[in-house]
Amino acid sequence: MKRYLIIGNSAAGVNAAATIRANDKTCSIKIISSETFNSYGRPLISYYLNGKIKPENIYYRDENFYKSSNIEVLLNTKVEKIDTIKKEIIVDLGEKIGYDKLLIATGSNPFIPPIKNLNFNRQKNVFTFLTYNDSIKLKEKITKNSKVVIAGAGLIGLKAAEGLFGQVASITVIDLADRVMASVLDKSEADIIQAHIEQRFISFKLQTSICEVQGGSNVSGVSLSNGETLKCDILIIAVGVRPNIALAKEAGIKTLKGIVVDEYMQTSIKDIYAAGDCVEFSDLLSDESKVFALWSNASSQGEVAGLNMTKIKTKAPKALAMNSISFFGLQLISAGIISNSKSGNNFICSVKNKLRKLNIFNDNLIGFVLINDNQRAGIYTSLISDKTKLSTLSYDITSRDIGFNVYSKDERTRKIWDYKGGY
Amino acid sequence: MRKIYAFESKCLGCGLCEIYCRTAHSRSKDIVKTHKRESITSAIVVEEILSSSTISYFALQCRHCENPKCIKACISGAMYKDDNGVVRNNKEKCVGCLSCVLVCPFGAIKKNDDGKTVSKCDLCVDSGEPFCIKNCPNAAIKFLSEDEARVLK
Ligand SMILES: Cc1cc2nc3c(=O)[nH]c(=O)nc-3n(C[C@H](O)[C@H](O)[C@H](O)COP(=O)(O)OP(=O)(O)OC[C@H]3O[C@@H](n4cnc5c(N)ncnc54)[C@H](O)[C@@H]3O)c2cc1C
Repeated sequence: MKRYLIIGNSAAGVNAAATIRANDKTCSIKIISSETFNSYGRPLISYYLNGKIKPENIYYRDENFYKSSNIEVLLNTKVEKIDTIKKEIIVDLGEKIGYDKLLIATGSNPFIPPIKNLNFNRQKNVFTFLTYNDSIKLKEKITKNSKVVIAGAGLIGLKAAEGLFGQVASITVIDLADRVMASVLDKSEADIIQAHIEQRFISFKLQTSICEVQGGSNVSGVSLSNGETLKCDILIIAVGVRPNIALAKEAGIKTLKGIVVDEYMQTSIKDIYAAGDCVEFSDLLSDESKVFALWSNASSQGEVAGLNMTKIKTKAPKALAMNSISFFGLQLISAGIISNSKSGNNFICSVKNKLRKLNIFNDNLIGFVLINDNQRAGIYTSLISDKTKLSTLSYDITSRDIGFNVYSKDERTRKIWDYKGGY
Repeated sequence: MRKIYAFESKCLGCGLCEIYCRTAHSRSKDIVKTHKRESITSAIVVEEILSSSTISYFALQCRHCENPKCIKACISGAMYKDDNGVVRNNKEKCVGCLSCVLVCPFGAIKKNDDGKTVSKCDLCVDSGEPFCIKNCPNAAIKFLSEDEARVLK
């Protein structure tokens, strides 16, 4: 009986386990998780914070999934070491667990920037916003009078702000960049998002950084690069995430920014695979190796890893950066390269709170941003991932809303009859 | 598994499929009450094909892909494949993030009018044969197995 071991019980780990079970009914599958809770939708932690979902609905898979698939989960258990020679791992309680095939799906860690007098582990009112537990602790700590400072106006910082809205006295978001979601959006789109969030009396201090935090075991304020000082009773650090590669690196597995894998998701060491936020992978549009902190990417890679671990040779497709997220009802959907500074011709159609931006280069769609204009976005996404020549389509995609009628009759029939999906 | 296939030359663009789709997914299952009292988004898209001389139409809905991208994109675990291969969305769990909309190559998943969830074809598995099929006046959509569909391609 083959023994499959998976470190990390989230998008990548769970989908790998399900795939392994689908292909091998008799093997043993064990998932190890350092978290207290069984797998949950990590992006849902902000919905928990503002009560938009019931706690029982945060779970990604129900208990029955693990039971019926005969997948064993060890919660509250941290893997300390991988012994690649003996093919075993050592967990924090000292127990050794052997494997035939191992998947590292350790995800991301929050990045804590060096800030004077910041001591994340000691200061009781400083939070990160990455886990269900972070969200629970934060929810317990806040009061109607809390003054909250959030360092970072990226997706996670803004989602934390949305989650806290209405429950605290003030929220201020600070970022070094000149716009919100700077790694995803250009200024014109970012400004729409920012203005929408500001309507909720959430304030922004951009092109600003925190130089120093004040207070002792409780932070009482932050000093900013513009000379200002802000009082606060809750500080949330959301300046970014980094692939969690320490375990792999220490075991002698090749890592750069993330864990290096081949297109079958195998690491530099045989029988050890990696998937999800902890790996770096080839980008569909630039061919550069990049880290993609994306749920869909993690679950796809988990599936592909699971297939290869059970000897069903499958290549993972190159990754495409994309996002679908809303803030206070404003829906943002984007994919590919969208920056004006990058090559391509931008077509922008913008009315009030609505925006559609298509980035076209060399007869290919290479990126798009849709704000409050969400229907049928997936057709744009496929034009990017299939690298469809736009001149072969039935109409100019900048001339009207996209539909499946953009394809020729033959292509429509082919897709409707034969399309099977993919990773 | 049987799926719904569109036959473009037969579609009148009448939109009855959408009306019956909404009815099928209503609480009342009554066509009038559905449209007067309930706000339901149909899981079908009726599209126009414009050419210089004519307008024709086709109806499109979820293809129930073998390897669905929407399920992998779903951040809440709401999208799933049931034991019969039907791709379904659990509205209790769906948070309406539209990650599935972002990856569906057919554009066959819609944001629900209530803004909270998405709407997609479930082949009316809870009520027998798909309502849209039963009520299409010109057999422009057919409920076929893959083998049957291949012959008619
Ligand atoms: C607030 C928030 C909102 C987000 N919103 C979106 C969104 O809208 N769309 C989107 O695509 N993505 C979103 N993301 C990103 C998405 O959650 C991640 O891309 C995804 O969770 C990655 O999955 P993963 O399986 O690779 O790793 P993770 O989800 O990071 O899970 C890794 C797991 O491994 C465990 N682990 C790590 N090391 C060890 C060890 N040594 N021993 C045992 N266990 C270990 C960790 O505890 C963790 O549970 C969001 C993230 C956050 C925090």
